[in-house]
Amino acid sequence: MTTEQKAWDEFRYGDERALKFIFDTYYKLLFNYGHKFTPDDHIIEDVIQDLFVKLWVDKERINPTDSVKNYIYKAFRRRLIRKLDYAPIIMAFPATEEKIGFEIELGHDHRMISSERTIKIQHNLANALGKMTPRQREVIHLRYFEEMDFNEIAEVMQLSTKATYKLLYRAIDALKQHLPRFDYLVILYLLDFSRK
Amino acid sequence: MNDLNVTDYSSYDTLRFFEDENFIQYILHPDEGRKAYWQEVLSRHPDRAVDMDEAENWILMLHAQQVYTPKNSGEPSWQQISERIARHEHITVKYVIPLKRVGKWASAVAAVLMVYFTVAELMQQGKQVVHSRYGELRSITLPDASVATLNGNSQIHYVRDWRSDKPREIWLKGEAAFTVKHVALKNRFQEADSFKVHVNGIELTVLGTKFNIKDRRGQTEISLLEGSLRIEKTGALAFSKIMKPGDVFVYDGKQIQKELKKNAAANQSWTKKELHVDGYTLKDIAEILEDTYGYQVTLNAADLTGRRLSGTIPSGSPEDILFVVEKVFNVKITKNKNQLMITH
Repeated sequence: MTTEQKAWDEFRYGDERALKFIFDTYYKLLFNYGHKFTPDDHIIEDVIQDLFVKLWVDKERINPTDSVKNYIYKAFRRRLIRKLDYAPIIMAFPATEEKIGFEIELGHDHRMISSERTIKIQHNLANALGKMTPRQREVIHLRYFEEMDFNEIAEVMQLSTKATYKLLYRAIDALKQHLPRFDYLVILYLLDFSRK
Repeated sequence: MNDLNVTDYSSYDTLRFFEDENFIQYILHPDEGRKAYWQEVLSRHPDRAVDMDEAENWILMLHAQQVYTPKNSGEPSWQQISERIARHEHITVKYVIPLKRVGKWASAVAAVLMVYFTVAELMQQGKQVVHSRYGELRSITLPDASVATLNGNSQIHYVRDWRSDKPREIWLKGEAAFTVKHVALKNRFQEADSFKVHVNGIELTVLGTKFNIKDRRGQTEISLLEGSLRIEKTGALAFSKIMKPGDVFVYDGKQIQKELKKNAAANQSWTKKELHVDGYTLKDIAEILEDTYGYQVTLNAADLTGRRLSGTIPSGSPEDILFVVEKVFNVKITKNKNQLMITH
């Protein structure tokens, strides 16, 4: 059992310090994730506070979990989307969820070489990401930034594993469509050249 | 699982590398084994270098996104949560369920449980033997819902005629990882709650725990991941040791010693079809190839036997292990049926 799972169980049995430990572990991470959906810090702050108060209120009904991170991310995401979604609750959820944004800002790793080529790759990738739907960007973020596997992503985004595969596949497909095809250009150029 | 000889890397473009789970792992968590694997892919398909590099850049760019930090630390935020929690506690009304109703329910549940346990105990009787072939991983759920995973060429047996006041007992040869259920029923005798493993003449007593036992060539290595465990030997050269989580102990048939170079969690990595080989020598790996996968290994590189490895090797198939050994130690491995010859 991990330290987090232990804290989770202690919190379920009524230890407030254990809940504080979980809060400390995830406060910044949740803020970062929430910031991808909205630039409004107040909303994110409210959602985090409500989430932890609700966890405490419901502690007797909450089950043990294999992954505290997944549980927290899932609950946080559901609350945040409900808050960002101004449409009446009666309306179908997924349809309105589509409209809520998700922004990715590419970073720089020390292992990357700063060259014109790298800048070009970054530019093209950012461009292709911009053409994706927000949910496609989110699945990419969870996969490559949070390093979640398909089952974890499915749980956090409340999708079936199959739908998650489909979503990631569509995201990859969008990359394919919106990246400049150097190879094709080279081939066309060569064909043109041989004709002359 | 990727395989150098099966996966067609010549058709891989940027997107395929970008999606490949093993490639992602290699970029984000490089180690000696993964590096060797992907360098080999590159050397076999040099024309894929540009695509590989592009995919690497994408993964790094996505992973290195700057973390957004709020203006405040979490502290004032927690203050507010804590106040709201306190207010909630104040207004919570505690209901007391009438004792009578509890009694009624409890007796009904007890009756159902009694029938269940009686039937379950009668269902499985006699000596049960389970063994795994060379290179095979096998998971067994024991009668008490504990789980044993056998590595290749290993065997356990247990006897199912015990009454409930006898401890659960298992006999092991080879290597296995255990996850033992802790059935704490207070009205049972204390001993009934323990789980015993007999291996190489010693006895392990376990309380709800995860651990790995490797018994090969008369040497027994015990790695404890969770819980607590007692190792005992009676008769000549008797001893008794208590293990803590993270400990690795080695028993050579005579005496027992704590092993400081090895890591308990890493010793169980085989259950995930990987080998964490930090601290392993070429000789250690040759022994694994013999014991678990059934090869006969001849080692003609005396100067290399002592060199230590680090990193992770995929161990889904013995070919993966052979390939990494060739790369890292810079040796040649000739295979003839189950004979392996390792030379410079």
